[in-house]
Amino acid sequence: MNDNILEIENLHVRFSTFDGLFSAVNNVSLNLGYNESIGIIGESGCGKSTLAFTVMRYLATNAQVEGAIRFKGINLLENSEKEMESVRGNRIAMVFQNPYSSLNPSLTIGFQLDEVGMHHQKLSKSQARKATIEALEMMNLGDPKGIVRRYPHQVSGGIQQRICIAMALLCKPDLMILDEPTTALDVTTEAVILDSIAELRDTLKMSMIYISHDIGVINKVSENIVVMYSGEIVESGPKKQIFENPVHPYTRALINCMPRGGVVKEKTKLNTIAGYVKRRGVDEGGCPFADRCDKKNDTCISKYGTKKIGEHHYAACDRAYAEDIPDKLKVRITPIARKKDPDFDSERDLLKVEDLHKIYGNKRKVYAVNGIEFSVKPHSILGIVGESGCGKSTTGHMISGLFPPSKGRIIFGDTDISIGWNKRDKETLKNIQLIFQNPGRSLNPSHTVEKIIGRTMQKLANINNAKERREKIIDILRKVDLGKEYLEKKPRQLSGGEQQRVAIARSLSISPSLIVCDEPTSALDVSVQASVLNLLNDLQVDTHVAYLFISHDLNVINYLSDYIMVMYAGKIAEYGKRDEVMENSHHPYTEALLSAVPEVDPTKQKDIIELEGMLPDPAKKIKGCPFAGRCHKQVGEICVKEYPPMVQLTEDHYYFCHIKP
Amino acid sequence: MKRLMEMFLRRLGSLLATLVVMSFVIFLLVEIMPGDVAQMILGQSATEEAVAALREARGLNDPLLERYGRWISGVVVGDLGDSIYMQGVSINSILWRKVGHSIILAMTAFIIFVPLSIFFGVLAGVKEKKPTDSIISFFGLATMALPEFVSGVILITVFAVQLKWFPIVSVIPIGESIWQNLNIVVLPALSITLVMFGYISRMQRSSMISVMNSDYIRAATLKGMPRRYVIFRHALKNAMLPTITIIGMNMGWLFGGLVVVETLFGFPGMGSLLMTAIKTRDVPLIEACVLLITVIYSVSTMITDIMYSYLNPRIRYQGGQK
Amino acid sequence: MKYFFYQLKKSPLAMVGIAIIVFWLIAAFAGPSMISFTHTEMDSMNQMAAPGEYGHVLGTDSLGRDILSRIVYGSRSILTVALLTSIFSTVVGILLGFSAGYFGGRLDTAFLRGMDILMAIPPLVLSMVILGILGDSSIASLTIIVSIAFVPATARVSRGVLLTEKSQEYVSAARIRGENHLYIMFVEILPNTMGPIIVEATARFAYSIMMVASLGFLGVGLQPPTPDWGMMVIENKPIIAQAPWAVLFPALAIASLVIAISIFSDFVSKVLIHER
Repeated sequence: MNDNILEIENLHVRFSTFDGLFSAVNNVSLNLGYNESIGIIGESGCGKSTLAFTVMRYLATNAQVEGAIRFKGINLLENSEKEMESVRGNRIAMVFQNPYSSLNPSLTIGFQLDEVGMHHQKLSKSQARKATIEALEMMNLGDPKGIVRRYPHQVSGGIQQRICIAMALLCKPDLMILDEPTTALDVTTEAVILDSIAELRDTLKMSMIYISHDIGVINKVSENIVVMYSGEIVESGPKKQIFENPVHPYTRALINCMPRGGVVKEKTKLNTIAGYVKRRGVDEGGCPFADRCDKKNDTCISKYGTKKIGEHHYAACDRAYAEDIPDKLKVRITPIARKKDPDFDSERDLLKVEDLHKIYGNKRKVYAVNGIEFSVKPHSILGIVGESGCGKSTTGHMISGLFPPSKGRIIFGDTDISIGWNKRDKETLKNIQLIFQNPGRSLNPSHTVEKIIGRTMQKLANINNAKERREKIIDILRKVDLGKEYLEKKPRQLSGGEQQRVAIARSLSISPSLIVCDEPTSALDVSVQASVLNLLNDLQVDTHVAYLFISHDLNVINYLSDYIMVMYAGKIAEYGKRDEVMENSHHPYTEALLSAVPEVDPTKQKDIIELEGMLPDPAKKIKGCPFAGRCHKQVGEICVKEYPPMVQLTEDHYYFCHIKP
Repeated sequence: MKRLMEMFLRRLGSLLATLVVMSFVIFLLVEIMPGDVAQMILGQSATEEAVAALREARGLNDPLLERYGRWISGVVVGDLGDSIYMQGVSINSILWRKVGHSIILAMTAFIIFVPLSIFFGVLAGVKEKKPTDSIISFFGLATMALPEFVSGVILITVFAVQLKWFPIVSVIPIGESIWQNLNIVVLPALSITLVMFGYISRMQRSSMISVMNSDYIRAATLKGMPRRYVIFRHALKNAMLPTITIIGMNMGWLFGGLVVVETLFGFPGMGSLLMTAIKTRDVPLIEACVLLITVIYSVSTMITDIMYSYLNPRIRYQGGQK
Repeated sequence: MKYFFYQLKKSPLAMVGIAIIVFWLIAAFAGPSMISFTHTEMDSMNQMAAPGEYGHVLGTDSLGRDILSRIVYGSRSILTVALLTSIFSTVVGILLGFSAGYFGGRLDTAFLRGMDILMAIPPLVLSMVILGILGDSSIASLTIIVSIAFVPATARVSRGVLLTEKSQEYVSAARIRGENHLYIMFVEILPNTMGPIIVEATARFAYSIMMVASLGFLGVGLQPPTPDWGMMVIENKPIIAQAPWAVLFPALAIASLVIAISIFSDFVSKVLIHER
């Protein structure tokens, strides 16, 4: 008996497309032992999902596969379709990124689970149902008997994903492949699911491949990490080794470009990787990372191949700390002095929000924002963090004027701007800018970069001379590290990072005093995210503009913000100076959120606070504390009945809870 | 069930509202027709006094709204008035027999094209980009593009003129009923089928393709379910949902097609009756026919809508958790 | 555009379709001058002549009129009406659908109600009744009425594509820099909806031809002496047993043109959808 359950040998996967043949997986070899769990990490387009689907033998018709995938000694690539059917879902099970679309909308949940047992294990209907209920119980789903009768759309995203995992568990598979199963979920939901996955591994003794773009997530469920870049494995080994001693320049760069616990803008500049992941043609040889690598030398193309670094530690390159080329990371890690502006601590608020409400809909009301008060100081960055549905984006959109508030006031400088864009004056429109989450959608695909930026300048800064405008556009493009050649390009010709730079340039082109950034980096890969965050930081230091930075990612918020505001169900949970909130949090929700954030450093794992249940129904007005239903520290009836009072800790730090400090 | 009932009532309400407005529009359209009804009834040789007297007697000088009120109150109690061209004959006595014929024709076509186009649409969708798909798709495109009278002419030339299997003209001999002459239904029904087949099979194909590319079909396949099972248990129902709406929407084309086909074959149905009414400027008859077509069409759209909601759990069990 | 030709090279069917459309355009434009018979001339010696006999390439009808010249001449009117109809109904559809979808609210509800009512009568029945009542159809009246019958469909398509684009963030971006509604609708949104709108317009072109031919067939289309393909079919139907060509050739003319346009429309939609 072999001691590996899965052996992938010299695997190549190529796709033939309109632009020619390109390589999605290139010469990948990988071994997975019994009861071993490996995490595959890489940015989008690096072939990790393709690898998983190749193992499942589920590829589009334009794919060409070469090599061998041996599962318990049998080469899956030589199996017939019929033989594969008895492997899929039975011996190898898979869980996908988007639970909602992975469940059939017109069949009940019970039916979709039962059929697995009935088909693979030839169980009768009632036996299969029994197995289904057991699997659901294993995933800690309360009331499994009620769940089986429901349709997928009747349960929340987190529960849907737990159902999908339960479905994968039904036949007690030998190998489970999870493809970004928590990426579409909120961080507290993710934490709970990751916890149950780790538990399952212990009880069921199965092998696991966990695919993610987030090292922190992989740290929680796997002991070994495989790093993929552009279809190739560039490094693999135990997670501690990979984190502490990465030898491939890409691995090192990747780890350093993630904003992680404790990394803040004043002390550290995030590492960035130039360029972006490109599709590889089949005839390109050498290191796929060479064109973006700082440590590149003439051996990158010729002498390239996997080397053994240590026990179980392999890498395709060991130049991560090569000294023949100066180390960008080491140079940059020195703290940068932030320019201190004379009126940074000005008492006058730039923006003041009072009792802000937003209710959507007429008949079916959705209470999105339910009375919040805060202010933004000039030249500072206020980060708003919270999970989906907490009202953070709605708040940002009201401030930028996309729609008027239902109740309450927004005061900017001296003017009341609690009105929509169509009633605001030019000056206000100019002074408050908005950067959207999805740069591809916020730039008009039919217009050129010049038109996109120029129109804003023409409209809001009254620069009507085309020549003068062009000069200024070139100037502002340079500030966001884009050249003159971008003027004539259309958004479709740009990468995601470049698009977001253009969007930033558009906002900055008219020198606003406040920019609302609505999740500006969450659609981007980590390496690109880092460069956008650096850019936003540099520009802020440079121009003294204030940001209202909205994100679901606490690490990003922590890195960039001066002040942090935590929101939950349309209310403020906690507000304060960054370090006060991060190091001395008082609201139970803040604590839970902090504990749920995946830690990049495998040695710094912490206990998570598991939140059960979900956000309160936004269609109902809540009387008590919105967090009461899920709170691990609930003190009693009062939490449900009465809205908690504000507890002021310092002048700038307060929270809303019945528990006193 | 309660939700469905609610929806049914709401739809029924809006249907009635549409019909009220519609009946007025139809009335208005036909009433502004050039030419004098009284003159038409009496013929060109009638004296001016006689025409004037008849106008007065039929209330043609009354205001428009009053005349509409009279007409619609008759319609509500089932009195569609008298035909002008066939003098003194009540519309009820001619219309319903012909409507019966048309319904037989439409139902025959319906029974042929619905299963046929769904079957071939699904087949083409499953075999996407394979030769089977190309053949079905091209055939569908071609039949969809042919107006009914063109495919009808081709059918006539082949099956009536050359093979002599069916009559060229669909006539029911006096004294016989349509049930004794069912062979006259075949060719007209086939020409309607061809157009509908093209349209619906193409729609079915594209919805099948999008379902087959969906995440949940991938998930079902990767659960190890056999392809056949995946297609029948997982894909089919979801792929057929949009087709229901499409069929409902195409009932309009079907009625337009009926007029054309009935005219081509001389089929004694509502369509050819409407055509005759238009040619003879038979005002009450035109109004009755158009109103009836509108009612049938609106009711069939409503039925498909309700069926769609009933079969779609996402609408049936809306609400609850997100 | 480059991609269009690249795909065209790979698709022989689309090339055939385009060739047929070009053929009919040339026939309509230059055809009448190339045929030795005119469309109204009655060759009373050679009634119901078979194709090829006495110089009548496609034969004659019961009155001895040359089928080929009638078909070629008839292509002018049908192409004119169909082209105008598809343009009018598309433009009006954009205007109506865009305003309703963009402003939403009551205007949108009123629009949807109105369209529901118009759609409650099948388009063919609607145009047939109006044209029959008015009598004496001309190119103008035919174009206007068929366009009206088509507007509910085109307006709904325009409204649909507008609604998808309206939720895009670039529209929000335009709003908060203070653009007016017309600018947002026509400078920001319209260019991005051109793909589906062009696809709809080409499909509409095929429908128009079917509709105009059917109306001609029902006798409410263009009136004699203008030859009309649909009318040719019905007037020669009584002699279908003796002279099938008099019915078949006009029918085939309609078939070839509509199929060609449908193939083209299909191809355009493939190309434009791939580009997105």
